[in-house]
Amino acid sequence: MAAGTLYTYPENFRAAKALIAAQYSKADVKVASNFVFGETNKSPEFQKKFPGGKVPAFEGNDGKLLQDSNAIAYYVSNNQLKGQNEFDKAQILQWIGFAEGEVLPAGCAWVFPILGIIKNSPSSQEAFQRAKNDMKTALTILNSHLLTRTYLVGERITLADIVVACNLLNPYKYVLDPEYRTPFTNVNRWFLTLVNQPQFKAVLGDVALCGKAAQVGAQAGAGEGKKKKDEKKQEKKEKPKKEQPKKEKEPEEELDAADAALALEPKSKDPFESLPKGTFNFDDFKRCYSNEDESKSIPYFWEKFDPENNSIWYGEYKYSEELSKVFMSCNLITGMFQRLDKMRKQAFASVCLFGEDNNSTISGIWIWRGQELAFTLSPDWQIDYEVYDWKKLDPKSEETKKLVQQYLSWSGTDKDGRKFNQGKIFK
Amino acid sequence: MLKISPQNFTDLAKYLKTPLGKISTSNTLFTRTLNNSTSKGAMNIIFALLKDSNSNLRPTNKLIEIEIRQWLEYILIYVGNASNSQHTQNILADLNDFLKVKTYLVGNAFTIADALLYYVLFNVMTNLSNIDKEKYINVSRWFDNIQQDSTLRQNYNIVDFSTNYLASIVPAKH
Repeated sequence: MAAGTLYTYPENFRAAKALIAAQYSKADVKVASNFVFGETNKSPEFQKKFPGGKVPAFEGNDGKLLQDSNAIAYYVSNNQLKGQNEFDKAQILQWIGFAEGEVLPAGCAWVFPILGIIKNSPSSQEAFQRAKNDMKTALTILNSHLLTRTYLVGERITLADIVVACNLLNPYKYVLDPEYRTPFTNVNRWFLTLVNQPQFKAVLGDVALCGKAAQVGAQAGAGEGKKKKDEKKQEKKEKPKKEQPKKEKEPEEELDAADAALALEPKSKDPFESLPKGTFNFDDFKRCYSNEDESKSIPYFWEKFDPENNSIWYGEYKYSEELSKVFMSCNLITGMFQRLDKMRKQAFASVCLFGEDNNSTISGIWIWRGQELAFTLSPDWQIDYEVYDWKKLDPKSEETKKLVQQYLSWSGTDKDGRKFNQGKIFK
Repeated sequence: MLKISPQNFTDLAKYLKTPLGKISTSNTLFTRTLNNSTSKGAMNIIFALLKDSNSNLRPTNKLIEIEIRQWLEYILIYVGNASNSQHTQNILADLNDFLKVKTYLVGNAFTIADALLYYVLFNVMTNLSNIDKEKYINVSRWFDNIQQDSTLRQNYNIVDFSTNYLASIVPAKH
């Protein structure tokens, strides 16, 4: 009996043919667990075995290699599935040809634009309309055949049923809505009987027929939302580990459809937009601060500062006893700056580390637009601020002037007398 | 005319490869006696046979079992008491309607209900005219599928449904 490994990406209806056949024949077919679509099948050693790198691909335990889903499914089938006599075998071949030549092209042209596998373009639109009609023709042929027969060939399930049903799987799941499929009672009955057989269920799980036909675009949008969420999750996970502040994360390689959908997304708004602008120009001040000595830039700040529309804050890291190595604490600060990237335009900060390894504190002076804590303006900014104690400073008081002088010139000590060690500027 | 007869139990027992014991009838009540234990009533006898057998037809879950009981009841009470040809036609029409969307009576697999209906309907299907075979095309399709199992068929002949193929509009010519 055939035994071996099947290379495929998950939920591949083509691979399902071989896996279902193996359920019937009890052939030992395992799905390669470390297969990564687009990587494994592009590798030289894979292409050496399977020229073209198409999946599913089958590697027998005895080293025999096979490509093409129907060939693999045939190889792992038992005699019942392959056909009991020469005529049955020929008929099975006939239906496999029908599945590949009539059902599959129509199904793909209809379903793929909806799943976002191929781009929705005028030419695909045309193919899309044609596909609906072609599918009708194919289903009509099947329907009249199944009027007098329970299964396609003989009176028991064969490979013909497996192959045709698998090629109809996506259409039934996504586009053949109740209205479209009602005339094809016999096909529906046949399809439902098949997908509810234990051998099919073991591979496909529960198959729910399409309730309302999916439209082009709808699915792509939903997929996008999920993807974004996933990305966000991933980003969150990465954060605590981040050792070195990196420049902008490289955008991940994405599907074309996802790209297209991204382009359609409205540009995210500036969370500060709702607040009055005021006269203080952060860019001008930052330029001055970078180019000039503090003896000039700090008076410049007080001269231009607009207390009506901006505020000065003192932020102190809450868990200073947990700070160990100085470089790690610095990464903590720069990491926070990075995550607040979008705040840069309307904010400025100088955050300093005082002390040495295992005995240090972090605190800083922040200036931003508005009178309230700015972090609440955007959900993206709320990752770090809670580990700091925030105190709003009165711009008129002498004390504030001293603090600003100290932090902007990177000098002095913290309140317990630890010496200034390093400073980071958020600009 | 359709009637449940002791022969139906003999066929079922043989199909399930389990000893039937003795079936006696008083009025319309069937009693099975085997090794000094008795079961009364057709439904109880069928489930006792199923229980005694090692058949994989024993229902796997409660819902399936209840549906099987429902169908057995329908077969025993309605199909088995169709006293004239009009009744028979009505029953075939009902079944034809039901089997339009179903491959088997219960769930998606062959059950004891299909087996009993096969035995009960055998004579009717054998004597059905070609026109009626086409009229009740879903029953024909179901019957043709069921009768392929030689353990179920035992000594009964295969009923020919090939005229249905000719009548249908299938492009694959036979």
